[in-house]
Amino acid sequence: MGGAGGFRHVVRRRTHPTCRIDAHAACLDGVTRVFGQQPALVRVRLVVRPGEVVLLRGTNGSGKSTLLRVLATAVTPTHGRGCVFGHDLVTDRRDVRRLTELVGHQTRLYGDLSAAENLRFVARMHHADPALVPAVLEQVGLLEVADERTRGFSQGMRQRLAMARTLVRAPSLLLLDEPYAGLDDQAGSLVHALVAATIRRGGAAVLASHDDLVGFAADRTVTLAAGETVVVPQPSLLSAAPGGLT
Amino acid sequence: MTGEALALAAKDLRLELRGRHAVSTVLPFAVTLLVALGLALGPDRPLLRQVAPGLLWITVLFAAVLATRRSYELEGEDGALEGLLLSPADPAAIFLGKAAALSVQLLALEVVLVTVMALLFGLPLAAAPVALALVCLLATVGLAAIGSLFGVVAQAARTREGVLPLLVLPAAIPLLVDAVRATSLALEGRDVTGWLGLLLSFDVVALAAGTLLYGYLVED
Repeated sequence: MGGAGGFRHVVRRRTHPTCRIDAHAACLDGVTRVFGQQPALVRVRLVVRPGEVVLLRGTNGSGKSTLLRVLATAVTPTHGRGCVFGHDLVTDRRDVRRLTELVGHQTRLYGDLSAAENLRFVARMHHADPALVPAVLEQVGLLEVADERTRGFSQGMRQRLAMARTLVRAPSLLLLDEPYAGLDDQAGSLVHALVAATIRRGGAAVLASHDDLVGFAADRTVTLAAGETVVVPQPSLLSAAPGGLT
Repeated sequence: MTGEALALAAKDLRLELRGRHAVSTVLPFAVTLLVALGLALGPDRPLLRQVAPGLLWITVLFAAVLATRRSYELEGEDGALEGLLLSPADPAAIFLGKAAALSVQLLALEVVLVTVMALLFGLPLAAAPVALALVCLLATVGLAAIGSLFGVVAQAARTREGVLPLLVLPAAIPLLVDAVRATSLALEGRDVTGWLGLLLSFDVVALAAGTLLYGYLVED
């Protein structure tokens, strides 16, 4: 990276600057995000369509997490604009938040609440049905420890619970930041199930990962380098996924 | 919004009951501070009774800073605060829920502190118990509102331990003055209606400011 004059813009997509609710699950139109003097994203253009799984690739510091956080409204674009299902990332934050779920490095759990209590609290704050909690805990293999405080959980168990939160919420745009970190193979299949469930609902998913294994689930790969998108459309491989994702 | 605020308050109180921070840290700190201030003033009971309202509310103020810090520390442990803010919940509901939980904790603390003061300083609690209870309630709500509002600001600061008292203590000075004066009059069995009105006005302003500003303060 460097100063503003040194920014490379490798690919310029000719997309319409305004997100259309019927056509785009998410779009970013020339989004730049600067932290202090350091640009984390530079004029990023991205369109994600409903039913699409987009994989973000890039080295550490390339801006993958920032891009996901912009889409989740955790971070506001310094320049440019974007939207999720037609809702502006800045002016319609609450609408965007109703539709998105970001699963990141932090699991956002309260250590002194049990697994079930954590999920029931999420359900209440997101206007979801708390009655779903036992079934969701069973789905992620944590029903037996539903009443135990999460402070004693391993990182893998905490990650599973973070994914259970997503199942309770059923978001339309799923944002996963290194979703395989800390998970065993069995739990890794939960990530696929989450993505598949989101797609079935007509939603979309954007995953940031270093893990090559995740590639088989993606319709498209977008590579970020120094905060800029550097392409890369791929043929849909979703239907060819072993074991099926739908 | 009410449902979200109640859910948040219930969650905060449950965390407090489980973590026992108030019992293990805030309460011993407050009682120790109160006793230390009393000892520093000497055994003169009439003097202690005279300054007791000031000692009470200074102690509560410092305890409120501790309790507020703890409340936001729990949110920051594993990114929970960000999860909360990225929910579709109205930021005002988050503020009100935090303030409600903090109010309950501080009121419980005040019951203990007033009891200790009555025993040590010989405070005439029976003079006007209802007026005293109202003073405590109104002053506590205002203090909790200030704490909840500035707590989230301090949480974002690098030097959050130092920032929170610097924000809360000056903002609480009008409330402190009102509460001390109203408590003195209540203990003397005199009319406190005017002072209750002032405390109520402070609460309305603090709650309105928090409700309106919280959303702006928490956004990136």
